[in-house]
Amino acid sequence: MEPLINVAPYTGWVYPNETIFEWSVLIAVYPYLTGLVAGAFTVSSLYQVFGFERLKPVAHLALLTSLCFMFFVPLPLLLHLGHPERAFNATITPHWSSAMAMFGYFASFYVALLLLETWFAYRPFIVEKAQQRKDLLGTFYRILTLGSYDVSDKALRYDQKWILWLAIAGIPGAHGLHGYVGFVFGSIKAREWWSSDLMPVIFLFSAIISGVSLLAVIFVVSSKLRKIPIDLACLKGLAYTIWGFIMVALVLEGLEFANIVYKGREGVEMIMEYVTGPLLVPYFILQFAIGAILPFLWLSYMIWRGTTGRALIAGVTTCACLVLFSVFMMRWNVVIGGQEISKTGKGLLSYQMTLFGKEGALMAAALIIAPFLVLVVLTRLFPPWEDHAKSSSSLRSHA
Amino acid sequence: MPKHIVRLLGLIAVVLVVSLLAIQFMTAESFYRFGPYRADNVTEIASLETVYQTPAYCKDCHSERHAQWSANSHKSVTCETCHGPAKGHPEKGKLPIPSDTAKLCTLCHEAMPGRPSTQPQIQVAQHANGQSCNTCHNPHAPKIVAAAKVSGDPAAGKQRAAACASCHGDKGISPNDTWPNLAGQPAAYLAKILSAYKSGAQKDVAMTPLAKELSNADIQNLAVYYAGLSCDAPAQSKVSGDAAAGKAVAKNCAACHGETGVSSNPAWPHIAGQQPGYLVNVLKAFRAGLRKDPMMAGVTRGLSDTDIANLAAYYAGQKCRSPK
Amino acid sequence: MKKVSNPSLAARRSFLSKLARAAACTGALAGAGALGVGVAKGASAKTEAKPAAEGGSFPTKDYDWTKHQWAFGVDATKCIGCLRCVEACKVENDVPRNAHQFRTWVERYVYLEGEDRARIDSQQDPVNIAASGSEKEYRFANRYKDQKVDKAFFVPKLCNQCTHPACVQVCPVGATYKTEDGVVLIDHDYCIGCRYCVQACPYGARYFNEEHGVSDKCTWCYHRITKGMQPACVEACPVGARIFGDIKDKQSPVSLFIRNNRVQVLRPETGNAPNVFYVGIDKEVN
Repeated sequence: MEPLINVAPYTGWVYPNETIFEWSVLIAVYPYLTGLVAGAFTVSSLYQVFGFERLKPVAHLALLTSLCFMFFVPLPLLLHLGHPERAFNATITPHWSSAMAMFGYFASFYVALLLLETWFAYRPFIVEKAQQRKDLLGTFYRILTLGSYDVSDKALRYDQKWILWLAIAGIPGAHGLHGYVGFVFGSIKAREWWSSDLMPVIFLFSAIISGVSLLAVIFVVSSKLRKIPIDLACLKGLAYTIWGFIMVALVLEGLEFANIVYKGREGVEMIMEYVTGPLLVPYFILQFAIGAILPFLWLSYMIWRGTTGRALIAGVTTCACLVLFSVFMMRWNVVIGGQEISKTGKGLLSYQMTLFGKEGALMAAALIIAPFLVLVVLTRLFPPWEDHAKSSSSLRSHA
Repeated sequence: MPKHIVRLLGLIAVVLVVSLLAIQFMTAESFYRFGPYRADNVTEIASLETVYQTPAYCKDCHSERHAQWSANSHKSVTCETCHGPAKGHPEKGKLPIPSDTAKLCTLCHEAMPGRPSTQPQIQVAQHANGQSCNTCHNPHAPKIVAAAKVSGDPAAGKQRAAACASCHGDKGISPNDTWPNLAGQPAAYLAKILSAYKSGAQKDVAMTPLAKELSNADIQNLAVYYAGLSCDAPAQSKVSGDAAAGKAVAKNCAACHGETGVSSNPAWPHIAGQQPGYLVNVLKAFRAGLRKDPMMAGVTRGLSDTDIANLAAYYAGQKCRSPK
Repeated sequence: MKKVSNPSLAARRSFLSKLARAAACTGALAGAGALGVGVAKGASAKTEAKPAAEGGSFPTKDYDWTKHQWAFGVDATKCIGCLRCVEACKVENDVPRNAHQFRTWVERYVYLEGEDRARIDSQQDPVNIAASGSEKEYRFANRYKDQKVDKAFFVPKLCNQCTHPACVQVCPVGATYKTEDGVVLIDHDYCIGCRYCVQACPYGARYFNEEHGVSDKCTWCYHRITKGMQPACVEACPVGARIFGDIKDKQSPVSLFIRNNRVQVLRPETGNAPNVFYVGIDKEVN
């Protein structure tokens, strides 16, 4: 039996009610997951809408990845709620002045959009399977066809239009979903560490780099597992994308920190004590130095030298892993860090993560790993690989 | 439009309609009545039962306590602050009488930086030698009343005292076991008790009519006269209690009446060498509430008849201290 | 719809307005309307059981919230730090008896000689808990008695019942709201337990009740003030440091307090417009 309340140690003066951390590691996992969704979707949009042909090998993979992670986005929230059974209150009577009230709508809109986009992208494949297979799985595909096996050119042209417009709608959707997450934190004036106009944009860009990095890693690993040569042009495209966005993300995060320090409002002494003390390693070393600046320099070097072959694969994969780690640290430093600085501006708290329990470290790890398992299953049902899905080659054929 | 698009649109429409209907029908009844919240909740919260009931609730049954409390300096401390919430009382039993008064009283009265100077505060280590606060202070009327200054003419008092001699003796030493000795009592106490008989605050079949005849000057003169007499009295013969056992009980009286019954404060009577029969009667009267004194009512409440007899025996046997 | 009794009329009206809202959202309701009318009959039965506050006053039959506007005063110069208010509050409102969850609390500010920053503690400080002997009891330890103190004072804190409450703004479901008479309440049967409001309150006035899975905070004892009583903490305060009343009544204690003193509020820069007015606090208090 876990104790009802976990009391955080503190120094200085904190409000009596602050000695319990209200937002646990799960709330750091939640924006991390939505970030991965938004980032992965960006890749698919880059191809679908903006015509980045070299990203074609990962276009379907990006959709599936996005979808898998989106399934798990509400879970950390539900696990965190005191009354998960009342979660629908947020959609039944959304309180429109709350940033959080949007979540139910944003999330369901976005799940619907991802489902539709995936459905259209895979429709020729689904129809093919529905006609081939007679077993239970065949029935599953037949249900998905909605009873129409029409894969004529005319029908596919229709599908293409839907895909394009859904992808276009998906860009503001995905980014809105994530920008909103930033707003959830940025709009809280009670916490100096969160309260920032830049927060939504920072979340957005860190989301994009994390999602693209995730895709790069999945792409490399899946190619290795399937024992097929890695499409270096595609990988390079992903690397460019990471490189470009990481620059913006770094600048924004730097600006945000500079703003807090420069404005030096009430309680800044405590913030300085915090960032130079408990936050020194997680923030400056892990999030910035190792997680962002190192991969940025490394990627710059590889782009400059025109690195290719195994060195490129190893380099990009390592950089992508570092970025994934960096972005998680960023979520952690925002969510947990914001609560470690007391609202009084005169004290610091220290979050004690539990290992077990519904808001413990193991649960957090499980929530991050679970989407990968679902992804493995989904790739069996809907193979996203170019060589596999010949019927889906019609995708963007009009372009 | 291809068939699958039509079906898809139909599916989306069905989902939308079902969701919207679900939203309409799952919305709580009173939601949006005044705003985006459940109006019924306001009624629910307003209808919660109160736990603390206020002193007005206590007044009807504990009218005497209430009257005393409300006339004294602790009137800003409500009954339930010390006795706990009255919800369920008296149906579900008694409310506690605080046992650790030192702990309770120091919450407010321990001298501490930050407490405004108007707040009465004590240095706990140097106050009362660790005795319970309620040894000296009545929690319902905590201020210890300083003895009033008495100035009178003992000669005039002696003249007036002729009327008292038949009961209290011509030298203030009562010939009868049931009437108190007056000789050597503090003048302030004597004046206080006589005034109380005169005003009716204290009642006694014999004393009340007599005291009503006295003028304020008479009272002062009498008090000064008796206070100046020697209290030496013949040893008591018919003592029924156990003086040794009485000594143990007397520890509770020592703070006010002194270890041997010689009071430290002129507002309180000496009881050393007092008539045992009188002591027994008066203690029983306090216990029964016939004689009114909040302090004495409290300390006599727990005494048995044997305790009273023992106490009387103990004090009657003590040497009184005559005025110099 | 053959038999239309009176109570069902009201229900039907509310249903129709709901339906109208729904129709505004989508044009695809034409068919569903017919379906909905059928359900309306069932819904009407539910409304009849409701306690009839209609026609009378709200929220209770003896109390009309449009006739009051509550406010709270704190005179920190009077507070003696006895913590009877905290005790009374915990009992009155069933607040968990521990040192981490409070609807109201008292802060102590002590400037020692030669120090320019106050030393601040509250009843939950381990030293004070050690002095009381239990997390269920509260007392200030006399920890500065042997030091030279330049200035010291106590400050009672509680929910500010802000005019523009940040907590209400962020609640995703409408489980917390501002009443007409100026108190911010929490619907414990509707709260989903996301704790966003706890984060949003700049005053640390809210806590999360793990046992019930909902947020909680001071209500100025709404169940007492609607019965004509004082909040439990005001009732318990032996020195009159807490003042409560109706600012619609110009002679109420709190109206006089605000009028006769130069009052201030905590953290005015948040724009929350608090309704607890302080006298006798200084720069370090926020």
